[in-house]
Amino acid sequence: MTSATATDRPAADPAGSIPCRIGARSVTKRFGTLTANSDIDLDVLPGSVHAVIGENGAGKTTLMRILYGLERPDEGDVLVDGRPVRLRGPRDAIARGIGLVQQELSVVPELTLLENLVLGAEPTFAGRIQWSTAREQGERLARDAGLSIDWDTGAMHTSVAVQQQVEILRLLYRGADVLILDEPTAVLAPAQVTELLAMLRQLRNAGRTIVFISHKLAEVVSVADRVTVLRAGRAVAHLEHDEIDADRLAAQIIGDNEQPVASEAGGQPGEVVLAVENLTVRDDRGLVRVDGVGFDIRAGEVVGFAAVAGNGQDELAEALAGIRRCRSGAIRLGGADMAGDDVRARRKAGLRYVSPDRKREGLALQLSLRDNAIATPDLSTISRWGLLSAKRARSRTSEILRSADVRFGTIADPASSLSGGNQQRVVIGRETNGSARVLVASQPTRGVDVRGVAYISELIRRARRDGTGVVLFSEELDELRDLCDRILVLHGGRLVGELPRGATRAEIGRLMLGGQAATDEARTA
Amino acid sequence: MTTIVESRRRLRLPSLGSAGSVLAPVVVALLVGAVVVAVTGNDPVSIYRTLAREAFGGADRVNATLAAATPLLFTGLAAAFAYRAGIFTVGVEGSFVAGGLATAAIGSHMDGVVPALGIAALLVVATFVGLVVAVLPAVLRAYARVDEVVTTLMFNFIASGLASWSVQAFFQERGQANSATAMVADAVRLPELAPPGQTNVGLLVALAAVAVYWWWTRSTTLGFELTTVGSAPRFAVAQGLRTRLVVLVALLGAGAIGGLAGGVHTLGIVHRFTAGFSAGFGFTGIAIALLARFNPVGIVAAAILFGALNSAGTTAQLFIDLPIQIIDVLQGTVMVFAVAQFALPRLRKRQAVPVATT
Amino acid sequence: MIDALIASTIALTVALVPAAIGGAIHRLSGIVNIGLEGHMLIGALVGAVASAWSGSWLVGLVLAATAGAASGLLVNLVITRMRGNEIIVGLGFNIVALGVVGYILRAGMGVSGTLRPEGLRRLPTIDVPGVADVPVLGALLSGQSPMFWFCLVLVPATAWLLGNTPWGLQLRATGALEPAAVSLGLRSLAIRDGAGLVAGLLSALGGATLSLGNVGLFNENMIAGRGYVALAAFYFGRSWPLPTALACLLFGFFDALQIRLQTGVGASADLLSTLPYLAVVVILTATALRELRRGSRRMV
Repeated sequence: MTSATATDRPAADPAGSIPCRIGARSVTKRFGTLTANSDIDLDVLPGSVHAVIGENGAGKTTLMRILYGLERPDEGDVLVDGRPVRLRGPRDAIARGIGLVQQELSVVPELTLLENLVLGAEPTFAGRIQWSTAREQGERLARDAGLSIDWDTGAMHTSVAVQQQVEILRLLYRGADVLILDEPTAVLAPAQVTELLAMLRQLRNAGRTIVFISHKLAEVVSVADRVTVLRAGRAVAHLEHDEIDADRLAAQIIGDNEQPVASEAGGQPGEVVLAVENLTVRDDRGLVRVDGVGFDIRAGEVVGFAAVAGNGQDELAEALAGIRRCRSGAIRLGGADMAGDDVRARRKAGLRYVSPDRKREGLALQLSLRDNAIATPDLSTISRWGLLSAKRARSRTSEILRSADVRFGTIADPASSLSGGNQQRVVIGRETNGSARVLVASQPTRGVDVRGVAYISELIRRARRDGTGVVLFSEELDELRDLCDRILVLHGGRLVGELPRGATRAEIGRLMLGGQAATDEARTA
Repeated sequence: MTTIVESRRRLRLPSLGSAGSVLAPVVVALLVGAVVVAVTGNDPVSIYRTLAREAFGGADRVNATLAAATPLLFTGLAAAFAYRAGIFTVGVEGSFVAGGLATAAIGSHMDGVVPALGIAALLVVATFVGLVVAVLPAVLRAYARVDEVVTTLMFNFIASGLASWSVQAFFQERGQANSATAMVADAVRLPELAPPGQTNVGLLVALAAVAVYWWWTRSTTLGFELTTVGSAPRFAVAQGLRTRLVVLVALLGAGAIGGLAGGVHTLGIVHRFTAGFSAGFGFTGIAIALLARFNPVGIVAAAILFGALNSAGTTAQLFIDLPIQIIDVLQGTVMVFAVAQFALPRLRKRQAVPVATT
Repeated sequence: MIDALIASTIALTVALVPAAIGGAIHRLSGIVNIGLEGHMLIGALVGAVASAWSGSWLVGLVLAATAGAASGLLVNLVITRMRGNEIIVGLGFNIVALGVVGYILRAGMGVSGTLRPEGLRRLPTIDVPGVADVPVLGALLSGQSPMFWFCLVLVPATAWLLGNTPWGLQLRATGALEPAAVSLGLRSLAIRDGAGLVAGLLSALGGATLSLGNVGLFNENMIAGRGYVALAAFYFGRSWPLPTALACLLFGFFDALQIRLQTGVGASADLLSTLPYLAVVVILTATALRELRRGSRRMV
């Protein structure tokens, strides 16, 4: 059956009798020094729903892109109908009946749903598009999938759920019978998720093959016939229908090597420096990404947010910083509600922000280190009557670079001349310079070398000792466990749980994946 | 549909290495000019030699070149100032015309004033009027994110239409040819630096403006913020810099400098406002700003280059059969290729949407 | 008097419509073509010269269209292959076109600004027997040039093609969301090249309408900013064919009014000339205010 240990590779298809409709055999893919997929087997039976799950960075999207021909494997083969093939690109995949729906939908908002359906494969006669034929085919496909679509509405006037449905129908229209869906429920509201899962079941019953990526255990349990679990680029488990349950999946995803927590009993946290009430944030498309979130941060404590990518943590961090406007709710910084204020006002009130996008937001790569160090509303403290004091700018810069132990040439060098780890040190050094009331750090050690990670962690601990309230967003569970006094978990834009220092990876992971907290389970038992 | 133009708005200047990217458009322009010239049976080499001689061969020639470069120094500076902030205005032409008209209209009534005071007052007015032309595009851009390229382009036409109308309605000098104001009073004419050459005090004002620009961007907090907004806009927002103020200052500043340019042109060279007041100085300024890449020395050099082309082209007509339109060809080509990237288009298949690898 | 006003309105509109439709098509593919003025100028010159050389107005139009197609394609290539910023490339191109034309007139043909080619055949007027004598309708429908009828067909034809052919659909998709188009296998570069070619071709026809129209000559200043008015028209019409054409009619009317006024009360003419541009500013403001509510991320 299946093996739960990561050491021996689990058998993909024990019976081996039915050729897979689509699959992989020993697929390996590297990007530079990063190995995204390592020796992966995958066996998707025709007429089934096969889920591929794993946490951030497990290699799921890369594998899907390989199956669709967008990437070529460095080793191993893609299997179609049980035989190895060389996919030359998406056109080739479509010709073999394989279609991919990516997270970024390729529905054109300015066109109608019907126009989107046939775009690029229009039914024509004498150069003229046969709209009646298109409509007929569209209605038939929709009916087979259990959907009802108003084909004449403009795509921009429909919900993302409907756009996604049309994108799926478009693939079916082009003859795809294998549908690969990358995190399809990431953009859907709960009711729409149910609708989508029903559609997938219907398509499966009609003989189509579905492969979908998800990290939401409830969905996977509800609809998948088979599950493949990826962890750190490897396939660590293949589960059959009757073996699929939330706990087992969570355990496979998180793994069971517990790192010991570096226990630093900090001092008692002080008064509340940041109070968030009922915060709701939408993204640029109007989708709700943060849904009624509320929490307090006290001086001298580090509070972590754990979430799988795409569950609202980026939007929450941006909303706290002031980069993203919030629809409703309050953000109280030292008592005053700053939810309507811009970044400048919040920074002046003592908030600092480390952006997850170092190259575009954390730094101005083309400008000098000095320019990067002084670019804050605090410019007034190193200038007089609007004139920059070169001397004070220099000393502020040296102070920042020294405190973060940055390796650099001169302060006039462009920030792009530094290594990634050093660049991030400049960012953290700048944001922890002087005493801040609140530090919002989003993925502060992303792309940083080991030594840099240790140093940045130390800078965060230092901020905590200085009485700053630190809000830490990180995809590295061990980093959260190491640095945080408590961990809040986001799932689907909502706070689903709070865990104290010492929580295990399994406990955090379960909440992140949409499972119930252990205490809740015990309560209901 | 505004989203299409917005995504183009980031003016990506090619990074060939500074000397290369300055020379390349000029070289291409010279080649294109040579082709046009050759097609009509003239010899490009001798034509270019004549132009060079007419531009720089002798003190009086240099004088003419510098006089022609003066308005371009201003308009190039105005454009560079805004582009440095990532604000892509093409409206300097409109500010130039408005400033020039205001100066002429008022200056013709200023007989007997103290020269220094009169000139100063007129230039202040010109600067202000130039700024006013940019107000609506500036506000629209800063507060409603309306694309400044199209609004400033439209305001060029609006400003020149209003200017022509007001000349005919209010300021027309009787007895003159159509559309001309009276000459400005002698008292407020800008003194010439080396008579009988036309180069005047305005050149010094222009050079001073460039110097002030250089100093301002390096030494003031707002100047620093302006450069940062242009170089890394998302960084500027995330760091809480005064982005809205920068946008306003960029557009209004470019308008102000353009207006000043028009005032100087009236008081220094033409001494009145007529139809055809501006020979596309605003647009040439764009080419200068693009070539010079915000660099003050580059602005001066490029302005002199284009000034040389203008003045040489005018006088060369006396000796050789060279229509001045060739100058437009050269300038336009420089403008086009100053923004083009010279990497040969590689014929690789276009990739599909790149996705973050996980 | 009304008849004369209608006549000149039509004449000017007929010059504007092809350029505006061409610009709209290019815009729909995702490129803002500022160079319409230059394409019109090239078309006017080539049309005049070709008509005189061949003795046929039709050949004049055809060669003008060909020249415009080439220049339109060229501008598009510089923008898409050499990544030149479309605004600058367009503005620069207009300057170069004016310069080249002026240069060729003087150095190549020995005239200074105005060319009266020997044997130039103007566009014929087509009289419609039944309506010719009806008061307003007669002035409207009878005695118009072939380009008038061309425009009447062009506008609905373009609207139909955009909605009912693969070309039209894929063009709109490329301009609206290029990554989506590419991921569906559409050749966005080729589509834009084609749109640029059409923009140049149609603009050149508009220019040739001016030189082969009533005036029957070419003057280097005869386009007089109408390329920019065409730009204003398709901006104002949001690139939909019918509103764009109506905008051309409106602006053509103001243009005709302005010319009439110039002989009388000179002043207001210049004021009227600013109206198209004011209209664009108004439309842009309204659109921006509407879209302001949508995004949640603060940007510069």
